[in-house]
Amino acid sequence: MTDLSKPPQAPAPDPGRPMVRAEGVHKSYGQVEVLKGIDLEVRQSEVFCLVGPSGSGKSTFLRCINHLEKINAGRLYVDGELVGYRQKGDRLHELKDREVALKRRDIGMVFQRFNLFPHMTALENVTEAPVQVKKEGRAAAKERAMALLERVGLADKAGSYPSQLSGGQQQRVAIARALAMQPKLMLFDEPTSALDPELVGDVLDVMRGLAEDGMTMIVVTHEMGFAREVGDALVFMDGGVVVESGHPREVLGNPQHERTRAFLSKVL
Amino acid sequence: MEKTDQGSVEQGRPETIRAVPVRHPGRWVSVAVVAVLGAMLLHVLFTNPALDWDFVGATLRDPTVVHGIWVTLELTALSMLMGVVGGVLLAVMRLSKNPVLSGTAWFYIWVFRGTPVLVQLVLWNNIGFLWKQISLGVPFGPSFWSQDSNTLVPVFTAALLGLGLNEAAYMAEIVRAGIQSVDEGQSEAAHALGMSRATVLRRIVLPQAMRVIIPPTGNETISMLKTTSLVQVISLVELFTAGHDISTRTYKPIAAMIAISIYYLLLTSILTVGQYYLERYYARGANRTLPPTPLQRVRALFAGRAPAKTAAPASPAAPAAPDAPGGAPGGAPGGAPNDAPDGGKDA
Repeated sequence: MTDLSKPPQAPAPDPGRPMVRAEGVHKSYGQVEVLKGIDLEVRQSEVFCLVGPSGSGKSTFLRCINHLEKINAGRLYVDGELVGYRQKGDRLHELKDREVALKRRDIGMVFQRFNLFPHMTALENVTEAPVQVKKEGRAAAKERAMALLERVGLADKAGSYPSQLSGGQQQRVAIARALAMQPKLMLFDEPTSALDPELVGDVLDVMRGLAEDGMTMIVVTHEMGFAREVGDALVFMDGGVVVESGHPREVLGNPQHERTRAFLSKVL
Repeated sequence: MEKTDQGSVEQGRPETIRAVPVRHPGRWVSVAVVAVLGAMLLHVLFTNPALDWDFVGATLRDPTVVHGIWVTLELTALSMLMGVVGGVLLAVMRLSKNPVLSGTAWFYIWVFRGTPVLVQLVLWNNIGFLWKQISLGVPFGPSFWSQDSNTLVPVFTAALLGLGLNEAAYMAEIVRAGIQSVDEGQSEAAHALGMSRATVLRRIVLPQAMRVIIPPTGNETISMLKTTSLVQVISLVELFTAGHDISTRTYKPIAAMIAISIYYLLLTSILTVGQYYLERYYARGANRTLPPTPLQRVRALFAGRAPAKTAAPASPAAPAAPDAPGGAPGGAPGGAPNDAPDGGKDA
C-alpha cells in the first residue's frame, strides 16, 4: 500500500522480456530422473502457475531456478543469465558459492513450511537479510520492514516470534521477508498447502496484491481458483515433463490431455 | 437423550466431586527407612573421631586450598573456552564439503577422544623430552624464533593443553549434533535470501543449535571442574592437590576430602544456576512462553499465587474461530444438554 515497500529502482515493466527460460532441463537424484526435459518461458510481470500431482517435479523445478538444486542437463536462464554456471567457450564452469549467493538476492522464495527463523521476531526476520547481506543500515532496514509488515497486514505483530503466530500470519511474514530483498522474481512453493482452509485467503490476497504491482511470480499451487483468477500462464506437469500449457482459463476450463482432465477432475 | 431427565439438568451443574484419594502406605515405610539411614549418617558425622570438624573448618580456610580454588576455576574456564572454540571449529570442519578439512577433524577427534586425558596431561607435561626447543620458521629450513620447551610449556600450560585439547574433541561432537538438529529448511531459506555460508552458520544455524548444545555443554563444564583434579599427576596445585597434600601431611584424609568436596559442591551448584539461565535465554522463540525463573517463582509464591508463566512479548495470537458463547449449557428443560466440546470448525 505504501510506496516505501515497493522497490525504488523497480525495472520498467516490459512484458515481453523473458525473466526465466528453461531449455530441456533435466534433474535426477541418483538413478531417479525427476525432471525429464522442461522447456518453458516466464515473461516479466507474469504470474506463472505450475500445477500437477505430487511427485511431478514442479517443486524441484522451482528449486532449480535459484540453484537450491543443481540441474544435470539443459539450460536454465534467469533474466538472461545462466543459473549456477558460467559459459566459457563451449564449457560450463560452476559458479562460486559467493556468486550464487549474489544471484539469489534478486530471487525471493516462499516455502510451503514457511521456514521463518524461530529465534527472531517477525521484524527481525524481515530485516535480517537486508542488514546481513546488503549491509543496509539497521534503522533504514527496520523502517522498510515495518512498511512491508504493514503491507501484509501484520504491523501489529512485528515483535512476535513465529511460534506466537498462526500459519497464515507466518506465511505472510515469510513473504515480507522475501520482499525485503527487493527481488525481481518471486518463487512460491505451495505457499498455502500447510495452512488451515480459513487462513488461505489472507495469503492469497497478499499474493494478488503483489501480482497487481507487476511482480514476476512463479507459483506452485493447488489453488485452482487463484490460478484461474490471477494467473497469466499455467503449466500442467506430470512425471517430470510438461503435459500441457497455456492460459489458465483455457487449460483449466478445456484441458486437451487425458492426464490433465483426470487430475483436474480430482482437484476442482 | 432421555437419561438427561434423571440428571441434574435443573441444577445446571452436577456437584463437584470430592472423592477419597488413593492411600500410599508404601510412602510411610520409605519415610521410616530414610529417616533411620539419615540418623545413622548424622551419628557418624558428629561422633566419629576420624571426622574432625574443626579440622574441616581449618582446611576450608587454608590458604593453599583457597588459592587452589582459583587455580581450579581458572583451569576450568580456560580449558572450556579452548574446548568450545575448538569444538565449534572442529564441528564446522567435520561438516565441511572439503574432504581434507573433514578428514583432519575426524582424525583429531579420533586421537584426542581415543586416549585417556590423564595420558595426554603427562605427554604435554613432558613435551620437552620430544623437542628440547620449539621454533617458528620454515619447515625443514631456517627458524626465526626459538624457545626452550620447558619455558614455553610450564606446568599450567601443559595442564591447559591436556584438558582443553581433549575437551575440544568432545565439544566437537556436541556442536555437530546441535548443528545437525537444525531443520534443513532453515539454511535453505537463508541461502535463498542470498546469505553466504558463513552468515547462515553464524546468524541462523548456530543460534538455533545452541538450544541443543547448551545442556550437554553445561554437563561438560561441571565435569571439567572435577576433571581438573587429574592435574595432580603433573603436580599442579589446584583444589584437589592442595587438599590431598594436607591429607598426606596430617593423616586426616576424610576431613580434608570433605572440606574440598564442600567447595566442589558449591562451585558446581553455581554453575548449575548459570546453566539454567543460559538455557532459558536460548529457548526464546522455541517456546511460546518462557518458564518462570526461580526468583519469579518465589515472588509468585509470596504473592499468594501459583507461579504464573511470564508473559511473552506479545499475545499468542491465534485467529481461530470465535469462541463459542461461554454460557452455562443448562436452562432449557428437556432440551439435550449441549455438551459437545466447542467445535471450532462448525459453521
